[in-house]
Amino acid sequence: MNAQQTAPKMLKNTKNKIKVEFERTPLKDRLKAKFINMAFITDVVWYIFRLVLLLGISYIVLFPFYSQIAGSFMGRDDFVDVTVMLIPKNFSLDMYKFIVLENDYLKAFGNTLTLSAITSLIQVFVCCLIGYGLAKFKFKGNKYVFLAVVLTMVVPHQTLQLSLFMEFRFFDVFGILKFLSGNATVGDVKWINDILASINIFGEESKNKLIQGIINDGALNLNNSFMPLVVLSLSGLAFKNGLYIFMLRQFFRGVPDELEESAYIDGSGVFRTFLSIILPLSVPMMITVFLFAFSWQWTDDFYTRLFFTTNKTIVMPDIVKIPTSLETNYAGQNLYYSAIRNTCGLMIIAPLVIMYAFLQNFLVQGIERSGLTAD
Amino acid sequence: MTNDLKLNKTVSAPKKAEPKKKKRAASLDKRKARAGWWFVMPFIIGFIAVYLPVVFDSIRYSFSHIKIVSGEGFIIENVGWANYNEALFVNPDFVQTLLKGLQQLAFDIPAIILFSLFMAVLLNQKMAGRALFRAIFFIPVILSTGIMESINAQNIVASDVDDIATGTGQDTAQQIVSAIDIERLFAHMRVGQELVEYVVGVINKIYDIVNRAGVQMLIFLAGLQSISPAIYESCQIDGATAWETFWKITFPMISPMILVNSIYTVIDSFTTDSNLVMKFIASEYTSSNGQEISSAMAWMYFMIVIVAVGLIAAVCSAFVFYQKKD
Repeated sequence: MNAQQTAPKMLKNTKNKIKVEFERTPLKDRLKAKFINMAFITDVVWYIFRLVLLLGISYIVLFPFYSQIAGSFMGRDDFVDVTVMLIPKNFSLDMYKFIVLENDYLKAFGNTLTLSAITSLIQVFVCCLIGYGLAKFKFKGNKYVFLAVVLTMVVPHQTLQLSLFMEFRFFDVFGILKFLSGNATVGDVKWINDILASINIFGEESKNKLIQGIINDGALNLNNSFMPLVVLSLSGLAFKNGLYIFMLRQFFRGVPDELEESAYIDGSGVFRTFLSIILPLSVPMMITVFLFAFSWQWTDDFYTRLFFTTNKTIVMPDIVKIPTSLETNYAGQNLYYSAIRNTCGLMIIAPLVIMYAFLQNFLVQGIERSGLTAD
Repeated sequence: MTNDLKLNKTVSAPKKAEPKKKKRAASLDKRKARAGWWFVMPFIIGFIAVYLPVVFDSIRYSFSHIKIVSGEGFIIENVGWANYNEALFVNPDFVQTLLKGLQQLAFDIPAIILFSLFMAVLLNQKMAGRALFRAIFFIPVILSTGIMESINAQNIVASDVDDIATGTGQDTAQQIVSAIDIERLFAHMRVGQELVEYVVGVINKIYDIVNRAGVQMLIFLAGLQSISPAIYESCQIDGATAWETFWKITFPMISPMILVNSIYTVIDSFTTDSNLVMKFIASEYTSSNGQEISSAMAWMYFMIVIVAVGLIAAVCSAFVFYQKKD
């Protein structure tokens, strides 16, 4: 009681004392006290050091993009002219024009957009499911499933390229199709045809080819369609999905169990709890994963090269070539060609840059809230 | 798409039915635990129906020759260790590339881990423009993958003239810092020649390292965020300097992340397309009749990856500190 009453008084006294002392000391001494001491100097030095470092690395990250952009606006003569460094002398939009016109940019854009959107949305949802299952349920074999996830991460995809190609060239789960088509009649083919028609992801032409494939090889040829990547995404096996599952697992581990328990007590089932409580809560993390999945699918050239063997379905990696109108034999050919390739690259990533500008906030947020811990 | 799933489910249904056969009503916990199987079901189906066959096929292909015959599918001839023999003893470049690639990785991985840890600590501090710097630092994660990497590689192959217009990283880095300057700087400090070479190498590859450290930075940043501010506060009250706080608090608390990141970095740099060995295997794949040999090479390489991951996990986990939660 006593102490409580005296405390404000004392505080007031000391405050007054400090104020008086403060007014008595001359400005020069005050500045000295503030700025010439070790703590302040280390702060300033550290601040400058940090700023220089961050600016330097930002420069390293951004400069190649800048020089590529500058190069993409240069005319052909600028690559022979040694005085031209970073600012184009003969401004020209030729590269953009011919890449759009001759390299089927728009077609590739459409195809890649569909492919990336489908696969990345599926991947986000499936990885959420798997991550949640691994994080929150202590079923027997949880550890083994997680180990399997890690295994899919560790095996280099180049190791599997031939067998992946073969798997989808002759797609057949445990020989079921072969068994069915072993005594296939016209009626069976019609039945398969009906199923394929109802799915309608394949075009008309490739559908016919598929049926031929069933009759001829006793298996589906899924290559040159989106199906291989869709199948891989559906089972959480596509590019870097192990990483997404890992990230989401860590995130869901940080979600307090009480949330779910209260939902269970209110009579909601496991899946309903997941869909209506957990998923809305994890939107930033999901957007993070979506951003990764979408852009890595967008720029991926391993799986697309593997599965799209004919030139019928043009995806983004296919547009990286020299347009015929820009072919040249003059000096500076190498530089010019690499500038064209860079321009192709810029045009490929342009939509991603726009998306990143809008979503980068979520990226950091999602990561910050994930509370990744390896315990 | 639904078609495939249906087929898959019919296949793996009997497997799943086994644990359900117990007659007595299970407790809530047990029932809940069983629901976990449903969540991981897509992965298990995919793993058993697609992934394992692919892996086994790949192993089988590495022991055989393949001919595609229309109308009958493909014929596989078993040739035993011939592909491995070919890769190791006949192919002139494989062993050399492998050694060179491993050497490069031993060089890169510590640099990437240290860099990403340092950058994550920096980006975790409060300062003006933090959001902007973070956005810039994560650009390579999003953009410099896949096709961009191969364009860069093509350009490096196309011209060894280092000019600004190529916009490739190595050239840019060399323009920023000349290696001789660094050597001069280090000459007066009494450090070994190896360290000087290492630092010079790292600085010249800074673009590469920045590009490859993105995910690691994110993971470290998340780890840093999860350290309770109360610990730092109590340290500050006890009068610890920033340096001490880093080594006594941040470093032990982040050590599980260092383990995770080391493993991730090893896997990532072993499997990235720009890796020397991977490039070699990919080029072998496209050459005529090279598919089976490239499979054999890739499996040998994979065994090395596993050994490397195991070694690093064993070494790191001895030093990892886990905070006990009460």
